[in-house]
Amino acid sequence: MIWLTWRQSRIQVAVAGSAALAFAAALLLTGPHLADAYAQDAHSFLAWVSAQRSDRTLYDIGILAGFVLPALVGAFWGAPMVAREIEAGTHRLVWTQSVTRDRWLGTKVGLGLLGAMVAAGVVALGLSWWAHPIDQVVNLTGGSDGGNILGVPRILPDVFAARGLAPIGYAAIAFAFGVLAGAVLRRTVPAMAVTVAAYVLLQVFMPGLVRTHLVGAHATTTPITAETLHGFRGRGPDRIDDLLIDVDTPGAWVRSTRTVLASGKKVGTYPFWVSTCLPPPGTEPAEPGAREQSCFDRLASAGYGEQVIYHPASQYWALQWRETGVLLAGTGLLVAASFWRVRRLT
Amino acid sequence: MIWLTWRQFRVNALVVYAALLAVVAALALTGPHLADVYDQSASTFLDWIATRRLDQSLYVVGTVGGFVVPALIGAFWGAPMIARELEAGTHRLAWSQTVTRDRWLATKLGLGLVGASTAGAVLGLATTWWAHPVDKAVGARTDSDVSSIFQVARLSPQLFASRGVAPIGYAALAFVIGVLAGAVIRRTVPAMAVTLAAYVVIQIVMPNFVRPHLATPVDTSTKIAAGSIHGIMGRGPDGPIERIDVGSAHPGAWVLTNQTVDANGATVHSFGKWVTDCLGPPPGTDKGSQTDAAQKQACYDRLASEGYRQHLSYQPAGSYWALQWRETGVLLAGAALLCGACFWRVRRLS
Repeated sequence: MIWLTWRQSRIQVAVAGSAALAFAAALLLTGPHLADAYAQDAHSFLAWVSAQRSDRTLYDIGILAGFVLPALVGAFWGAPMVAREIEAGTHRLVWTQSVTRDRWLGTKVGLGLLGAMVAAGVVALGLSWWAHPIDQVVNLTGGSDGGNILGVPRILPDVFAARGLAPIGYAAIAFAFGVLAGAVLRRTVPAMAVTVAAYVLLQVFMPGLVRTHLVGAHATTTPITAETLHGFRGRGPDRIDDLLIDVDTPGAWVRSTRTVLASGKKVGTYPFWVSTCLPPPGTEPAEPGAREQSCFDRLASAGYGEQVIYHPASQYWALQWRETGVLLAGTGLLVAASFWRVRRLT
Repeated sequence: MIWLTWRQFRVNALVVYAALLAVVAALALTGPHLADVYDQSASTFLDWIATRRLDQSLYVVGTVGGFVVPALIGAFWGAPMIARELEAGTHRLAWSQTVTRDRWLATKLGLGLVGASTAGAVLGLATTWWAHPVDKAVGARTDSDVSSIFQVARLSPQLFASRGVAPIGYAALAFVIGVLAGAVIRRTVPAMAVTLAAYVVIQIVMPNFVRPHLATPVDTSTKIAAGSIHGIMGRGPDGPIERIDVGSAHPGAWVLTNQTVDANGATVHSFGKWVTDCLGPPPGTDKGSQTDAAQKQACYDRLASEGYRQHLSYQPAGSYWALQWRETGVLLAGAALLCGACFWRVRRLS
């Protein structure tokens, strides 16, 4: 049965395996060079690596692959695995050859899950190893300048699910979902479409609904001063809705920032006097005059502060392990549902 | 035959159009508000919209959709259209009912192409309409740093293929690639995989090798002057200086090359150590200014006398629609060629 499964899936394995190996080879060739550059001069490293077009492209491809690979695994490995057999009727041949349905499905799903997780692991962990110097710089300086993806902290949703351990969990759950969709719908192409759609929904809802609750977020309140204020937002000249405050949390995933009173109450609209004493927008608030200073003093004495709820950079691996665990638990449930479904197939 | 094709195709069409309709509805609901805010205060518009999480996700969805929808159309509409029939043998039934192979294929291709181009047009043009204030604000910017997706010019490769009329061409081409792959490979799932791979290759080839040549780029060659240097790229404090960054074109433009050339016109990859003098002391250090200014001027004079110039080649923002129409034309011509190949292939199927 293992031999049969291998024969049925060897082309897929060869295609995905050679792509993953080519990518891993590119990482291996350029990685030591990045580490060298970082060791030589950490200060200018981020600017230097951003100017290297090939390194940047490699990172872009890696992040894209981390997001796309699980979808491809689910749609092209998972969904046809059972659906193709049912469409063609070939499952009957196997089931009448002293192979039980459970053993048939167990072998297929077991080998498939193994392949999916290994492929995702090679790409994602390889990328994490390669990007290690970049992460060190970004976590020290807060990174993101020039809107380039190399400066995005690895804990942000933009890159989180494409690196580290999480892609292993995503590949496993996408594969298991594909198998289940194939067994339920019994037709390959609709099963593939449903798998891709489900994967997109999972990726959209995971950060806000699940990830942020996996580890408790930190909360900190920063006073509003001339140094931290970098702008404000309001409707009309006299009404200020929000002050934009710089908060020193390099490499963190900021969930929300809001202005609160000392009592912890959220501020909706600022009183009128705030708009009369702040420096006008667009000017450098570097050297506050006496009027601005009195404004900041009054804000402080009234108890205004900027509360930030965030996941610090140090929570990265805890989040990664727990998210992967959640996804693997979901995979287990889906596999069980597939067994239940296949036992009931006629 | 049209009725049969529609019956075979309607679930696919409904799924894609329902998703598109949802996106278009969201764009239509939020678009007028953006235009209002832009009219009220154009100068602060980009700062305002960068803080709007909902608008940002909508913009990202529209952009990603512009890239992904053609791929999905090719893989899920195009590839199974013939491969499924060949796998199941149902093409024989149609061919033996006084429907010729050409008519059978033409109806399938025709309806599919109309559906694919319409989907591409709806998404590309709706996003363009919605993002019109963003484009105006980006075009009016004076600095060129990019810290949010709203500051990306629509001419840059990150946005170009997902906006305007280009998605029409991509959707049509991806669809025909899928049909041809299905007719050649005769199996649905491999045909879908090949279609996706071909689409990715096209998306890489177009911006790198085709698009830059569709309109004549503007070439400028300027002297490196005081104040124009933004930074110096080098490796380590002792390594050679590899690149100097000099003020670039207008923010709305798509820069193709921006490099320093020496007197012979060759690209410079390594500068002498003395180039660091052009920048003056690093910010924050209070060194004497008199000597530094003289040193700086000497450095610029030396750059000029040794013949170093900055060569800049870019597509100006004004070429946007010319590039859009020509790229769409190229893609549609490719789609027509592949249609011909489909007919040739289906006539030879047994």
